Amino acid sequence: MSKHAREYFRFNVSHRIEHILLLLTFTVLTVTGIPQKYASAAWASGAIGLMGGIELTRQIHHVAAVLLMLAAIYHGGAVTYRVFVKRVRLTMMPGLQDVKDGFQAMGYNVGLVKTPPRMGRYNFGEKIEYWAVIWGTVIMVITGFMLWNPIATTKFLPGQAIPAAKAAHGAEAVLAALSIITWHAYHVHIKWFNRSMFTGSLTHEQMEEEHALELEEIEAGVEESPIPPAVMRRRLLVFYPAAIVISVTLLAAVYWFVTLEETAITTIPRQDAPVFVPITPTPEGGL
Amino acid sequence: MDTCRCAGISRGAPILIGKLLLIVGAVVVWSCLTAAPAQAQAAAPPDTACKLCHVDNEGEITLPSGETIKLGVDLAPLSESVHGAHAAESVYCMDCHASRDRYRFPHQPNPAIDRAEFEADIAQNCERCHTTIESHNPGHLLAKDNPNLPGCTDCHGGHDVAPVASMAADPVGTCQGCHQTYADPVVQKTHEQIAANFSAEQTCQTCHSDVVLAEDALCKTCHSLLDGEAVLPSGETLPLHVDPQIIVDSVHGDREIQDVAYSPLQCTDCHREIQEQGFPHDPLTTGSLREWKLEKADLCGACHTDIAEKQPHDIHFAKIAEGNLDAATCTDCHGYHAVQPPNEPRQRISETCGACHSAINEQYAHSVHGAALLGEDNPDVPVCIDCHGVHGIEDPLTTQFRLNSPNLCAECHADEQLMAQYGISTDVFDTYVADFHGTTVMLFERQSPDQPVNTAVCYDCHGVHNILPATEENSQIMKENLLATCQQCHPDATANFSDAWTSHYRPSLEHNPLVYLVDLFYMIVIPVTVGGFALFIGTDVYRQLRERRGRKERD
Repeated sequence: MSKHAREYFRFNVSHRIEHILLLLTFTVLTVTGIPQKYASAAWASGAIGLMGGIELTRQIHHVAAVLLMLAAIYHGGAVTYRVFVKRVRLTMMPGLQDVKDGFQAMGYNVGLVKTPPRMGRYNFGEKIEYWAVIWGTVIMVITGFMLWNPIATTKFLPGQAIPAAKAAHGAEAVLAALSIITWHAYHVHIKWFNRSMFTGSLTHEQMEEEHALELEEIEAGVEESPIPPAVMRRRLLVFYPAAIVISVTLLAAVYWFVTLEETAITTIPRQDAPVFVPITPTPEGGL
Repeated sequence: MDTCRCAGISRGAPILIGKLLLIVGAVVVWSCLTAAPAQAQAAAPPDTACKLCHVDNEGEITLPSGETIKLGVDLAPLSESVHGAHAAESVYCMDCHASRDRYRFPHQPNPAIDRAEFEADIAQNCERCHTTIESHNPGHLLAKDNPNLPGCTDCHGGHDVAPVASMAADPVGTCQGCHQTYADPVVQKTHEQIAANFSAEQTCQTCHSDVVLAEDALCKTCHSLLDGEAVLPSGETLPLHVDPQIIVDSVHGDREIQDVAYSPLQCTDCHREIQEQGFPHDPLTTGSLREWKLEKADLCGACHTDIAEKQPHDIHFAKIAEGNLDAATCTDCHGYHAVQPPNEPRQRISETCGACHSAINEQYAHSVHGAALLGEDNPDVPVCIDCHGVHGIEDPLTTQFRLNSPNLCAECHADEQLMAQYGISTDVFDTYVADFHGTTVMLFERQSPDQPVNTAVCYDCHGVHNILPATEENSQIMKENLLATCQQCHPDATANFSDAWTSHYRPSLEHNPLVYLVDLFYMIVIPVTVGGFALFIGTDVYRQLRERRGRKERD
């Protein structure tokens, strides 16, 4: 019983900040983006109206996009730190085992397989979701860049790339939103509410079902050995300058992304046809 | 008349000097008449007695005014006059020189103090036979305070009384007796010049009569003949000539519209101030020709009320209200006297607008729409009013007009039946709205129609009045010219940029294949992915339900 009451630490503050940033930006991007894709539908234009019109909606979308890119940069830095400084195991790396786990889980669900898969720190479901976010973000940033900077893009790519980017941006958004509504919502909200992303820890029961292998390791006392301070210092000495340079470069890239081009003029083009040009003095008299 | 004729007989106060025998004879005849007037008339005229004295009389009497009246009467003019031998009923001396008290024989001296009174006395007797005199030329009769008021005889003559027909032959001559100077202040022309053009039916009285003639006839009498000009205070001139036929032939002539007969408009229906002024009317006082036309056009709305209601929303009338008198009013488009159906033939519409908007009309004439209208008499292409409306024409430079303009184009270009005739795709509107430009414009139109937006609408790329098909060399949207068109709003755009626009094609392998393939990719990936998720979730739910049942069974 006492064993079952134990909470298993899972996500540190950095993880949780990343998640909240993603949660917020993803939600804002979806809420402001999806109605733009379906703008001619009444519900969509209604939603855009509620958000203050299409101009404001686009601005909010842009701000959220920038925040998402910043979150992505932060995530990149955090992952780099974990991988290169802390040298954690690459538990998010997908492998053949994940495919097997997926099929075994499904087989177990329908009763074809007797035992459920015993999965590590990140199970196949979480890996799908993580890599979907990575894939989606990359697609959205690239296509978003193209839509934000169509003139710069068409200097290098054919013009058709712009509408193609628009199609991809919208379709990818739908895919992402539907994935969140189905896969994510089911696994961490409907099936049970997995609070670990906010509290940092998971119950024994959830650990057992979703991360049995990791639980086993924790129970067996397999802890990652602490890094000697000297080694740590040496690694940080490399990490910090590199991280600063890369981060600054990426931040500059974001700034460049946002300010690269003035796509269109901001005034209204006027048709300057002379309006009143009578052919002759209007015929007078007995007409 | 008979009773009058007998009135003077029973009385008598003979004072006349000389010719006694003749007088006695006359008395004898007179006595016979009193006994049996009917037979006596046949026997001898009742005025023989008068003639005894007044024929071959060289004398004259002098009235108190000093005027003289000849006593002798030349009977020849009398007998040739309408009152003479040819009259249906004979008129005798005393019918006009009626008795009153003095007409006994020998009669009293005439009490008139002047010739006018003498004639007025006689003229009063005209009414005894001519009972319709009250309605006869009342213009003169009503001017009671006029000391020069003419009596019947002033125009019709005395013993040589003229029939109306012969007066009509020389109408000016009759009136000229009094009206010697008659240069018309309005028409600035003498009446001789006017009268020279009179037809047989037209006399002075055609105009100068209060008898209710058709008002038109009154106006047309002068204005169909005049060829002068009125000079306005501005120095501009206004031709006075109006051809009545063009009014008859106009829409305001005799017409049947949708089985309802309309009586023709009278001149004064529009020229109302003339009706109030009567004839002769005042000279035109309006400052300028333009102001006068604007003033006149105000009256169109009196009948055309449905159109007048739209007027406040009309750009032309708004401009006039702002003080721009060049802006068109009703008559500028429709004409005034020669108003014809404004849309027959259809080309007439663009000609009408082109009268003032000639530069635009010139562009239109060379556009795909204009060329088809003017060259092929095409009934489907829009003319000016199809886009701009008519009566209540909106300002086309407003944000609302701009935002609504794609809907305007779509009225025809999304009409499959219409476009099928010309092989034009009806996807144009949907593909526009699906694009960035169209989405933005559509949303602005729905949500903030007052907010200016510079996102392209149809005419920003296709042109406004100069729209040409993409196959034309000069078309703004022709492939070679498209980049320049894009650069109007996207000045930094380079060669590939214009291909970012899908040219109204729905993506396919032929048109925009990259877009098509992206769409296809997601059309497969989305259902497969989400379907896969749903499948897994389904099995997971199934397991949970099974486990729950299992737990229950164990419990």
